[in-house]
Formats: sequence, structure tokens, C-alpha cells
Amino acid sequence: MKASQSIRGRVLRTQFVWSLLGGVALATALWLAMQSEVDELLDDSLRSAAELLIGPALELAAAAAPPAPPAPMAAAPAPERNGGPRFVWQLVHHGRVSTVLAAAANAPVQAMADTPSAGFINVPGWRLYGRAVGEPGRMLYVAQSRDERAEAKLELAFTALLAGLPLLLLGMLWLNMRLRQDLQPLQVLSARLADFDALQPGASLGVADYDELLPVQAAIDALVARLARRITLERAFSAHTAHALRTPLAGIEVQLAIALREAPAALVPRLQRVRTGAARLQNVVAALLAMFRSGTEVERAPLDLAQLAARLPVEGLALKVQATEALWGDADLVTAALLNLLDNALRHGAHMVTLSTPRAGWLCVRDDGTGLIQARLHDLQAALLAQDYEGRMGLGLMLADMVARAHGGCLLLPDSGPGFTAVLDLGNMPAATPPLPAPTCTPR
Amino acid sequence: MRLLLVEDDDLLGDGLRDFLRAEGHLVDWARSLTAAAAYLGEPFDAWLVDWQLPDGSGLDWLRQRRASGDRTPALMLTARDRLGDRLHGLDSGADDYLVKPFAPEELAARLRAVCRRSAGAASHRVHIGPADATVEVDLAARCAWLAGERANLTGREWAVLEALTLRAGRIVAKSELEQLVLGFESELASNALEVHVSSLRRKLGPEVLATVRGLGYRVSIQA
Repeated sequence: MKASQSIRGRVLRTQFVWSLLGGVALATALWLAMQSEVDELLDDSLRSAAELLIGPALELAAAAAPPAPPAPMAAAPAPERNGGPRFVWQLVHHGRVSTVLAAAANAPVQAMADTPSAGFINVPGWRLYGRAVGEPGRMLYVAQSRDERAEAKLELAFTALLAGLPLLLLGMLWLNMRLRQDLQPLQVLSARLADFDALQPGASLGVADYDELLPVQAAIDALVARLARRITLERAFSAHTAHALRTPLAGIEVQLAIALREAPAALVPRLQRVRTGAARLQNVVAALLAMFRSGTEVERAPLDLAQLAARLPVEGLALKVQATEALWGDADLVTAALLNLLDNALRHGAHMVTLSTPRAGWLCVRDDGTGLIQARLHDLQAALLAQDYEGRMGLGLMLADMVARAHGGCLLLPDSGPGFTAVLDLGNMPAATPPLPAPTCTPR
Repeated sequence: MRLLLVEDDDLLGDGLRDFLRAEGHLVDWARSLTAAAAYLGEPFDAWLVDWQLPDGSGLDWLRQRRASGDRTPALMLTARDRLGDRLHGLDSGADDYLVKPFAPEELAARLRAVCRRSAGAASHRVHIGPADATVEVDLAARCAWLAGERANLTGREWAVLEALTLRAGRIVAKSELEQLVLGFESELASNALEVHVSSLRRKLGPEVLATVRGLGYRVSIQA
């Protein structure tokens, strides 16, 4: 059987996956947008720094000695390094570093650019802004390491992520709570259905709490109304059928009783046999009516097995009652089932039948008749479990099973030694047959 | 006992009438509620009423009788076997409820039990008459003993004794007793009852059946 699923669980899982995917997509978009914006901001800061430094750079250039002849890519004088900043501010004259205003620890000692370059340029590991200062060939370079720029972007992304995650978690919690509230009407509907008595006049599930539940409740109300009508009709039909069948049977019984009194002695045994046959016919009719009723409703009540046994009109059978556990059920239906099981026992050579309650809700009927061979017993049990009655068993077992099923159980035929044993499970369907003594069956 | 049987089925009604008559009862058989209405006002020891009748519900008829104060013991004879029906039947005034089909012997036994309970007797064996000359009456075995010896009673004599025993302690008018014992024959033989009473006194002792002058007869029951 397929396990049931939770609407709330499914929605939450779906929400989580889509939030995650959405978050990743949003973060990617943000990342791409930030890349450009942060680059622009950082470039602006480079340019601003260069504009600010232009004044001091000019003073430094004026104060400096006349430059030596240009020698591109010549080694620069040892720059001043303070190691703190992650910037490089160089004053370069014809490819030689004349002044280092500030330099990161990993900054190159030579000029950041081989040839005088104005504007933004990229050199390995650095982003550079060049600005001409005074005479030709003199340049101010302001550079920022790419690591620093990447770190700035990463921090930004991480901060955005930290801000987004709690929002995602809060969203999940809120959605969970909301779903719990929104699904509450389904539980209310289930509770109403559990307490619902369709046969009460004007029975209705009431007003739906949500628009979406309106058609469901309307459909259930309509279904219940149809079922109630059907049950009412079946009750009426059952009452009429019972009257039509039982009244002539009662007449036959009474007429036979008189005939037995008035008949000559030679005729009495024959009339007695007819009366026995009529009694069996009565049992069959009772069984058929019980079978019809078992499909509609069960009137459960505590059963006193001894009282039940005392009501059974069995001739030729000794009944022994061993009631140790509680038994609940419809007395009329259980009586009809027992009558048929006892009739079976009688027809299969039993003299003694023991009625017992091996566990709560189980009624065991064990006889000392001829029993069944194991294969036949297993075949019958399989047919009973599959409710495949036709052609595989008689009315008695079929009725007993239907009565047990009307109570929520089934009929069990344990392999229990001499005789025949049937267990009416009037409670929940058990996982296995009852632990009764090992089989010693003889062919029936 | 005089019984009113209200049953529409010929096979069952005819059989019950004959069976109960063979048991010594006086049986009036009505096939419908309309026919049963003709018997209203007449004394009966018990009613046997079918639930489903062609012109209405026997249970409703019984409820009306109870509402009008009639306490005649009643047995419902019906094909309705459901617990709810049985409870409904008993709550509506039936003293007992018998589901069809039934053995007529069981019906006869239940009738005796219902009538015995109605008379207030704890057992089917009761002692009637003065304390120094009691007669033991067995309502189930339909016989009486005087000083340990079984009295040889005719059917009508037993009917008189039974009718008075079931109404022990109260005065039973002669006309009522005639109707209970003789039914429609009471109109044909006006002195028949006196003959049976006289015969009973001869067999059981003169003190057993007391005559209340101008009112009727009475038997007293011993605790």
C-alpha cells in the first residue's frame, strides 16, 4: 500500500527547494551586478585618490633633482614601504619610479607601467590609474591590488548572503505556521466526519471554513444523503423481506406442531423430519437476512457468551462455553453466524462444540467432528481472505466471514488439531492466525 | 385463558388458533385491526398481536390500548428481529416479544409466564383458598392438587380456576368470567358458569371459590 503524504511536508519541501534555487539565482544576478558596480566604485576611488595626490605630487616633482636620462624599465630607487596600505601610489618619470608615496608590502618596486599610460589599465595583480603630472613622461600611478578588490566584492556578497539566509529561514517558519493554520480545516472536517451520523434527520457537515472546501463538503453531504436514503430503503426492504419470509415459516412451524400432535404414530417420524428440515430452513433464512443486514449496519454491544449460547437452538450438540475475554458485537449477527457454524458441525459428525474467547474480540468455535485436511483448510482460508466465496465454500462459512467483516475483522480457520475450528475475529484484522495447537486433521 | 389473536396470515393464524385451543385456551382470531376493534371492551387474559397488519401497525394499536388504560398482557408476534425493534416493541406496551418463526410450544410457555407475572405470582405454582384448606395450582402443568391429591378437572373447570387464579385477590364479575371461560358461548348457556363453579367446589372444597353476592367470584392467594 502506498504511504500517505503530507500536503504541508510537500509544500514546505517544494518551497525550500524553490527558495534555494531562487536564492542562488538572485545571488548570481546580484554578484554579476555587484561586480560591475563595485569595480566602478573602486575605479572612482582610484581616480579620486589620483586627483587628490596630484598637488603633493607636483611639489615633490619640483623639489626633486633633475631627472637622469630616461632608461625605460630601469630599476627604481628603493621605494618607501610601510606595508600597511593595499595601494600603490608611484610618481614615475620616464619609466623610473621617482617617488613612492605609499606601497603595499607586495607592491612591485619598479614602475607599475612600462610606458607612460593615462587612465585605467590592468597589470598583473593590480588595477592601475595613470595621470600625467607636469612635464611629459612624468606620471602619477595609483594602483589597487586585485586581491583587495576581490576581497571587497566577497565581503559584500557574504554580507548579502548573511542578510538573506535569516530571511529565508524566517520565511520557512512563517510558511510552516501558515500551512498548519490553513490545513486545520481539513482536520476539523475529518473530526466532523468521524462524529457524523448520516442517519440523523437533516444530517450535514455544516458550513465549510474555506472556499476550497465547499465543493468537498457539498460532495460529502450529497454522498451521505445518498447513502442514508439507501440505508433507509434497505432497512425497509429488509423489514418487508423478513416479514414475507418469516411469517410463512412460522405458519409452517405451527402447523407441523399441530400435525405432530394429531398424526397417527406411523406418521410422526416423517413429520418430525419435516419439522427438522423446516428448522434448518429457518436458520438459512435467518442467515440470509443477517447477511443482508451485515452490509448496512452493526449494532455493537458487550456479548455474554453464556447467554448467547443459551439462545442457540441446537439439537444433537453439546455446547461448552469457556469465556475468559471480553467480546463485543451485534448479538443477532453473531447468533446467525454461530447457528450456521453449529449446523456445519452437526453435519460433519460433531457431538461437542466448545465456544471460547482466546483473546479479546475473538470468538472461537471448535468442534469434535471429522475436520478438514490441511490443504482444504488452507484453500478455504485463502478464499476467505480474498472473499472469493462462490463455489469454494458453503453458506455457513461465508456468512460467518461476512459477519466478522461487518465487525471489522474476518473469519480465521486455524489448523488446530482434531475437529474443525473457526475463529470469528470481531475486532481488528489480526496479522496472523491464532496460536492454537498443532494440526492432526482427518479428511472430511 | 381467553386470548385475542391479531394475525393476518392465514397459515399462521389458523395454526396458532388450533394449537392454543388444543392447549385448552379460548382463542378469538382477528385478521385485521378493524376486526380486532370488535373485541374491544371484552375481557381477555392476553393479546397476541402481529406488528405488520394490512390495515395498520399492531404496535400503534397496542400503544393506543395502553394509553386508554388497558393493562391486558400482550405479546408481540413479529418478523422484526432487530434490537431496536425489540426495544421499541417492549417500550410501546408489549409484555413480551417473540420473533417469527417460533416454536408454538415456546409461545405457549411465554403466554403462561406473561400471565403469571401479570397476576403477580412469582412462580407457576401458587396456593389459593383459605389457609386451612389450600389448593395448589400449577399454571404451567394446568392442574390442581388438594391435600396432595391431583384433582381431576375438565377443561372448562380448569379454565374457570385459571381465570380466577390469574385474578386472585379481586372480584371477577360473573359476566366477565363467562366471557373469559365461555367466549361467545356464554350467550347461549346462561347457567353454564354456575355448573362449572359448583363442580369445582365439589372437587376442590367449598371454600376455595368465594361468591361475593351480587358482584361475582373471588379466590384468595396464599403467600
